[in-house]
Amino acid sequence: MRVKAIAENCSGCMVCEIVCSMKHWNIINPKKSGIRIEKKSVTEDIPHICSHGKECNLECVDACKFDAMKVNDGVVYVDYENCVGCGACERACPLNAVWIFNKKAYKCDLCGGEPQCVKFCSQNALVVEV
Amino acid sequence: MFCYGGKILEVDLSTGEGVKRILDEKFAMKYLGGDGFGAYFMNKVVDAKQDAFSPKNAIIVAPGLLVGTAVPTAGKTAFFSKSALNNGWNESVMGGRIGFALKQAGYDVLIIKGKAEKLSYLLIRDDEVAIKSAEHLKGETTRKTAEEIKKDEGNVVVASIGIAGEKLVRFACVDCDERQAGRGGIGAVMGSKNLKAIAVEGSKDIEVAKPEKMYKLLEKYYEEMINHPSFEADGKYGTGEFLEWMNAERGTFPTRNWREGVFDERKEIDPYYWAPRYAIKNKACVQCIKPCGKAFVMKKFEGVVDGVEYETLFALGSNCGVASIEHVAKGNELCDLYGIDTISTGGVIGFVMDLYENGLLKKEDVGIEATFGNGDAMLELIEKIAKREGIGDLLAEGVKIAAEKIGGDALKYAVHVRGMEPPAYDVRGIKGMALAFMTSPRGACHLRSGAYALELTGKFWKYEGVDRFSSENKGQEIADMENFMAVYDALGVCKFSRGIFLLNFADILDAAVGKSLNEEELLKIGERICNLKHIFNIKAGWKKEDCKLPEKIHQPIPKGVSKGSFVSKEEEKKMLEDYFKARGWDKNGIPTKEKLKELEIEEFME
Repeated sequence: MRVKAIAENCSGCMVCEIVCSMKHWNIINPKKSGIRIEKKSVTEDIPHICSHGKECNLECVDACKFDAMKVNDGVVYVDYENCVGCGACERACPLNAVWIFNKKAYKCDLCGGEPQCVKFCSQNALVVEV
Repeated sequence: MFCYGGKILEVDLSTGEGVKRILDEKFAMKYLGGDGFGAYFMNKVVDAKQDAFSPKNAIIVAPGLLVGTAVPTAGKTAFFSKSALNNGWNESVMGGRIGFALKQAGYDVLIIKGKAEKLSYLLIRDDEVAIKSAEHLKGETTRKTAEEIKKDEGNVVVASIGIAGEKLVRFACVDCDERQAGRGGIGAVMGSKNLKAIAVEGSKDIEVAKPEKMYKLLEKYYEEMINHPSFEADGKYGTGEFLEWMNAERGTFPTRNWREGVFDERKEIDPYYWAPRYAIKNKACVQCIKPCGKAFVMKKFEGVVDGVEYETLFALGSNCGVASIEHVAKGNELCDLYGIDTISTGGVIGFVMDLYENGLLKKEDVGIEATFGNGDAMLELIEKIAKREGIGDLLAEGVKIAAEKIGGDALKYAVHVRGMEPPAYDVRGIKGMALAFMTSPRGACHLRSGAYALELTGKFWKYEGVDRFSSENKGQEIADMENFMAVYDALGVCKFSRGIFLLNFADILDAAVGKSLNEEELLKIGERICNLKHIFNIKAGWKKEDCKLPEKIHQPIPKGVSKGSFVSKEEEKKMLEDYFKARGWDKNGIPTKEKLKELEIEEFME
């Protein structure tokens, strides 16, 4: 499963970023979100989110030297016990869907199978693809 | 402190110094945020007697209390400064991300004073504050300015001005994320300070008092909002969705510089026509799940604009008699890029066209055939105004000053209240709004009261059976609505959600800051804010004689369902008196000591 972004539908509201940080960390901080909206121009608001191997070859997992980027049941997630924020995953990701902030990596972990960004997207710009 | 950045940042562009102060919790709960903080600091920091373009004027930016919480549509940030149009109070609220970024950087209020030596931008990156040269951006558009600063500074949110702000066009706006703090010339005040842009990156956590409760409320309001009728209407057609209704059912859509209240040639400017043809997707303010913005891609012209909003469909459309939607959209884009308010721009151009058709301005004065309906002339006048070229130099002063300079009969055609060109509500057939135009602290404005919907439908909140053609009982109604809307602007909630939230913020505030405030408590804060704005205006020289309607409002609407309606001078006087009484002010509109004491703001009146 993964969250698929349909950029043509994205209005750029950032609600997905906010609820993601709330759900995972109990605070509000788009920099700690596992999804990011690039507000590029009037006609382009582009969601960036991990494909969990659907559109990549798990380059982040290969790049991590600290055993912090793990795969479990098709879900790629960060093991914060091990992550040192070196940035190798961010550099390796071909989709621009992993980010380092304050020495920790942030990316989508699919919220245990119920992605909150999808739930709060009112524009059908984010859909679950099984 | 929950839900706040926690600090107030004051920057002096003249000295380059910055001061940070801690936000006091008691203070925060007295004023909430956004509009409340602006009302307080405008009185504390700005010498009201100075000219708007004096370095002693300040620009204040304050996100609403709920900015950053994902409470749907609560992403608004307010800008404040002395008005470039009337030298009194001015505020303008926008949905760009600047306030969110400021809050994440740790600031609930940004105060900018002084004047930079050369064109500059202010960079705020969490605790780091710097004034940087923007000389390479001189004359650039708002859009290009933001792009260039992002290239240099990375992931910053930029609020910028265009050439019009640099040239001190009195209705120049500030743009952030293609959203504008449009009214009253905040962009011109930025220009007067040599401030091309404000760039902010914030990376701090915003904490709410009760995260689990907040999350449940988000789920609740998400459901409520996407199932509300306005969700589909806003999503498909934007703010102009009711344009046909305003014409056919109410006859109050100002047309050709307020000659008529119905625009017969409206086919193309109706979003039901243009949205399916030109809008390629929705555009939202930050934190909004029911986006009214549209990415409008032009076909005949080259260009894209986040629009076209209802007010602009009037200002550049019906008010100029322009029926071509492409011309209106192009005009909208030019206004956004050069950084001028579309409402005032359309007001000024409609005024010129009226004078031209009545022989008070000739072709050699204007440089073009400025007849109603001439879309090319409208576009050319936008260029001239933004760059202060030819007649544009005069028009850049706004309708009031331009009319006074032209003199004679021109004054009869000047449609403004206290120097501000009015928005798209023909108040001859919406009498409560006529009063609201007079009492708004910034001049003719629909947003401080937001009473148009109540007046036009007859009911909202605690009001029922309101008659828009009557001038009875309007004083209390408008005072109530102003207090109501001040709460929205303090919380940062979009007024298009008023029907969903009303003033039921007790749970949301409990989750956000840990203190639940009921309707009565919120309204008292709203009243406090409204009184503070008025006190600022009094210190700036406000007189009740200035609160008067344009000559055209005293003439009957010539056709449509509101035919024959107008506001008489007696009604004008009576409504204003009713309002002063409802406010607890004296006959001259001066707040009484008792009222200010009751609102705990007696320290502000000299």
